Amino acid sequence: MLDVIIQLAINGLLLGGIYALLSVGLTLIFGVLEIINFAHGEFLMISMYLTFLLFSVFGIDPYLSLVIVIPVFFLFGFAVEKILIKPLLNDPPLNQIFATIGLGLIFSNLALLFFKADFRTVKTFYSNSNIIFGNYFVSVPRLIAFAIAIALIAALLIYLKKTFTGKAIRALAQQRKAAMLMGIDVHRTYAIAFGIGIAAVGAAGAVLMPLFFVFPTVGSLFSLIAFVVVILGGYNSLLGSLVAGLTIGLIEGFSGFFISPHLKEVVYFVLFIFILIFKPTGLLGKR
Amino acid sequence: MPILGVHIMQLLGLNNVTTKYGDLTAIRDVSLSIEEGHIISIVGSNGAGKTTLLNTISGVLPCAEGTISFADKRINRLPPHKIVEEGIIQVPEGRLLFPDMTVLENLELGAFNSRSRKSIPSLLDMVYSYFPKLKDREAQLAGTLSGGEQQMVAIGRGLMAKPKLLMLDEPSLGLSPLVVKSVFETIQKIKSDGITVLLVEQNVFQSMMISDDVYVLENGSIILNGQGKELLKDPRVREAYLGI
Amino acid sequence: MKSLLTKIIEAANRFRRPLIALAIVLALVIPLIPRNPFYQDLIIMIFFWATLATAWNLLGGFAGQISLGHAAFFGIGAYTSTILYLSLGLSPWIGMFAGAGLAMLVALIVGYPTFRLTSHFFALATLAFGEVLRLLASYFRELTGGGVGLLIPHEPAFRNFIFENKTAYAYIILAMLLAILCITYIFKKSRFGYSLSALREDPGAAESLGINTHRAKMYALLISVFFTSIAGTFYAQYVAFIEPDIVFASHISVQLALLSIIGGIGTVFGPLVGSLFLTPLDIFLRGWLGGVFSGLNFVVYGVILILAVMYFPLGIAGWTKKFLSRFRKPPELPVVKPADIPMIKAATAITRKETGGPLMTVDSISKRFGGLEAVKDLSFTVHEGEILGLIGPNGAGKTTVFNLISGFIPPDKGKIVFNGRDVTSLKAPHCFCRECIGRTFQLVKPFQSMTVLENVMVGAFACTRNPEEARKEAFAILNRIHLSHHAFTIAASLTIADRKRLELGRALGTKPKLLLLDEVMAGLTPKETEDIISIIKSISNEGITIIMIEHVMKAVMSLSDRIVVINNGIKLVEGLPNTVVKDQRVIDAYLGGAYHAAAGLK
Repeated sequence: MLDVIIQLAINGLLLGGIYALLSVGLTLIFGVLEIINFAHGEFLMISMYLTFLLFSVFGIDPYLSLVIVIPVFFLFGFAVEKILIKPLLNDPPLNQIFATIGLGLIFSNLALLFFKADFRTVKTFYSNSNIIFGNYFVSVPRLIAFAIAIALIAALLIYLKKTFTGKAIRALAQQRKAAMLMGIDVHRTYAIAFGIGIAAVGAAGAVLMPLFFVFPTVGSLFSLIAFVVVILGGYNSLLGSLVAGLTIGLIEGFSGFFISPHLKEVVYFVLFIFILIFKPTGLLGKR
Repeated sequence: MPILGVHIMQLLGLNNVTTKYGDLTAIRDVSLSIEEGHIISIVGSNGAGKTTLLNTISGVLPCAEGTISFADKRINRLPPHKIVEEGIIQVPEGRLLFPDMTVLENLELGAFNSRSRKSIPSLLDMVYSYFPKLKDREAQLAGTLSGGEQQMVAIGRGLMAKPKLLMLDEPSLGLSPLVVKSVFETIQKIKSDGITVLLVEQNVFQSMMISDDVYVLENGSIILNGQGKELLKDPRVREAYLGI
Repeated sequence: MKSLLTKIIEAANRFRRPLIALAIVLALVIPLIPRNPFYQDLIIMIFFWATLATAWNLLGGFAGQISLGHAAFFGIGAYTSTILYLSLGLSPWIGMFAGAGLAMLVALIVGYPTFRLTSHFFALATLAFGEVLRLLASYFRELTGGGVGLLIPHEPAFRNFIFENKTAYAYIILAMLLAILCITYIFKKSRFGYSLSALREDPGAAESLGINTHRAKMYALLISVFFTSIAGTFYAQYVAFIEPDIVFASHISVQLALLSIIGGIGTVFGPLVGSLFLTPLDIFLRGWLGGVFSGLNFVVYGVILILAVMYFPLGIAGWTKKFLSRFRKPPELPVVKPADIPMIKAATAITRKETGGPLMTVDSISKRFGGLEAVKDLSFTVHEGEILGLIGPNGAGKTTVFNLISGFIPPDKGKIVFNGRDVTSLKAPHCFCRECIGRTFQLVKPFQSMTVLENVMVGAFACTRNPEEARKEAFAILNRIHLSHHAFTIAASLTIADRKRLELGRALGTKPKLLLLDEVMAGLTPKETEDIISIIKSISNEGITIIMIEHVMKAVMSLSDRIVVINNGIKLVEGLPNTVVKDQRVIDAYLGGAYHAAAGLK
């Protein structure tokens, strides 16, 4: 029994790393711009298709394609902020919510138009390989995805901690007026933060591709996870999202075994409602 | 003070400036002139428009009418970050530190503009010479500091931006008398280091004592202007505050 | 040419009610006309989507709570009645209400915690909820048929809610539509409707006027869910086939919002208008493009949605209303005889009255925000009929005191006794309003999209349920505060002086015993200040006790019976106006230490 639990914990944690990467972008965008990107899952879906195309057309390995996906998605996010988000920043929440929902609707149905509803995946030589540690199996693509996810999150945290632009982003999230008075260009920094958030979810899509199928509505599945992670992590803490992502991965691993793999989303949601009732600021939230 | 015929130039000039919030005219037709190397105070009761005036100069609020010039350049259409590049730095009311960042990070962000970014180490040394205490607190989160220490960081952060004109908004607010005293000493030291200071203060007495020139603002307009120590005796100042 | 247009519009305005009646008659006749099933289906779908969107709009438009999970309630309705019918043979007419009951119960459980969230997170929580119910429905396939779905056999009978003729369905859904439209129309004019608009515009101000915002949102949710759920049953009976991916589909929720936004969110007929335009478009797009380019219709939807929120946020109905209002003559103001206005009599001279016993006693309250002790051990008493001035330099903690004694923040310690009752532990600001404590806000919070009259009516509804009475009361107040000429002006377009007076009038509407005025003179010209001083005097003469925070010292001095000065959260001095301003401690607090000495004062 103990072996089973450890095996489940390994699987869960590995998955949780990807969930964290998927969610940090959402957290960053909310922390800085104070809007929720309801199209977050659809950005993930597009990145998965992009990775799929790079693999099936040009034969580029999904992990290698990060080199392309990350900058492309940064620019993608930057442009979306400039065109769609910036004009709505001072609008009522209704407009902000439906602008990103509209965007998600367009993305997922364009995908349907181009790729039909088929499930697609990439088959690499390592897709089904496992490493065996004593009694435990570790899936190679999950391990790689986890390592990349953690590395990217660490890189993001270091970027925000060490570089001037990174500090400007944090400053803007903490004290908008002071940031302005210190000479930070607010609009440019907003666009950069949005771009980074989208780049992060783009990266998550690329590392997910060897593990999952992509289909036009795959985004809604993952955005649910991202939403729960963000709330569990306390809305605007990246470190909180990392911990929450790992937690959700673990919960998914165990609930899949002890309850039913088909009910994992229900477990998230029950968790989500409980957080709202008992700890509305999130497990790691302040205030 | 002019030294042997050397004309001291005007650093900042406001010409009939009016600022509105929607249809509310917050400041009306304000003109003032600040000479290089001086300390200028703007006093007036709450809601007189002092902070609005500073925010207009900083470009945070649009200037509806009139012009603002700084070192002979018109600046009243520039965005806030460009005005910082020109050398006008505001230390806002309530300190507004970045609470979840360390003291050092707060100070570094003061040097965000391109003029200062290259010389952070020397600027830090300069700030620590003003506030030696901050060096020990370098790694502490700004949100956990005491009020007086927070004010030091706020002023230090402003100095990191290599200001030509430093605008201080209510630097003594909510501080103990002892700390207030040291804040005013700091302001005089800043002046002696050649930085022009525009001071908005509630502590009329202290600010008049150290200012070269004082403007009294009431209801968005300037009602009095004169040398600090002389205005001190003017009953109209007290009237502007206490209505008697 | 233009005059002709104006004439038509004026006529349309004048015959508004007959036009509505005509529209209803037309709606009643329309289902009889087409013989072609395609057009019959189109009519039914227009009514169907309009019903759902109107129900959504009650919550999303009027109360401003954006739900992205209404598909869940739709699905619950559809599945409950269908399962009861198929397994127990229960008539869907009864199952429909069973489903609605279940949906409302679920809404209660989910709504209670989620209503604490801000708009963005409420939308997010409901979206997650809808998604989860879809997954649950697919999982419990013994019950729901899972991906295979449930098929309702074609056995026409009234009892079975199954009909040969589509006309019958058209009338059933029309009846539902008219019911929800009527309810929305009645609510809009009622106290409840005003509460919803108020809490959408500014929850804090709504609470201060006695509105239990949490409960009002709950009611709006329950009504909305009821209709969404019965429309679910209708759908199941009409199509005779349901599966989780259809009736729990998240795009249903988005569709409802889209119809409301295009038609005019927050208006009674907006969602219907939206459905009239978009449902035919939808059916056309699906029929024409769906087969070849599956998904293209939703791409079009997404584009419309984005363009609408960016460039057309008022929607068709909202825009038309705004357009027509340009041509509409403002309604005649009711003639108010000066004798009917108690205040005008003695507007200038304040009749010093004997102040009565203590009305409110504040006993050593404290409040700490993180490291800052905003209020420390503060005690003071205000007597009946008195005007108490609360002054102190910037950041002294005055507004915090107001927030403490009007229930906006709970004190860390201490006791507040009002009118002989301990009110310290009352839970929400609206309870303080019901105890007859009214307040204004330093940063005025008018209900922006409502007219001045409607703003004051929200206050007046604290004392009456009857809209006519509230209207009359509001008019009387507008006269008292010299704002009746702006009765039909939208609050957003008022000047600051008018907004301050509106704020005052709104609080007066609640008939307070104690009125808390937070800087009602800040930013006013001397003339405007004088006007508001005379209003405050007249209010005081009526016997209302007032505590005022004010920086315009001349006003405080002339108005206050007594003054409490606070500095750094502590009471500095308390006393008569003339002694207080001469107090050395006060002068020092305002002008800086040792000022009085340096300036050569005594």
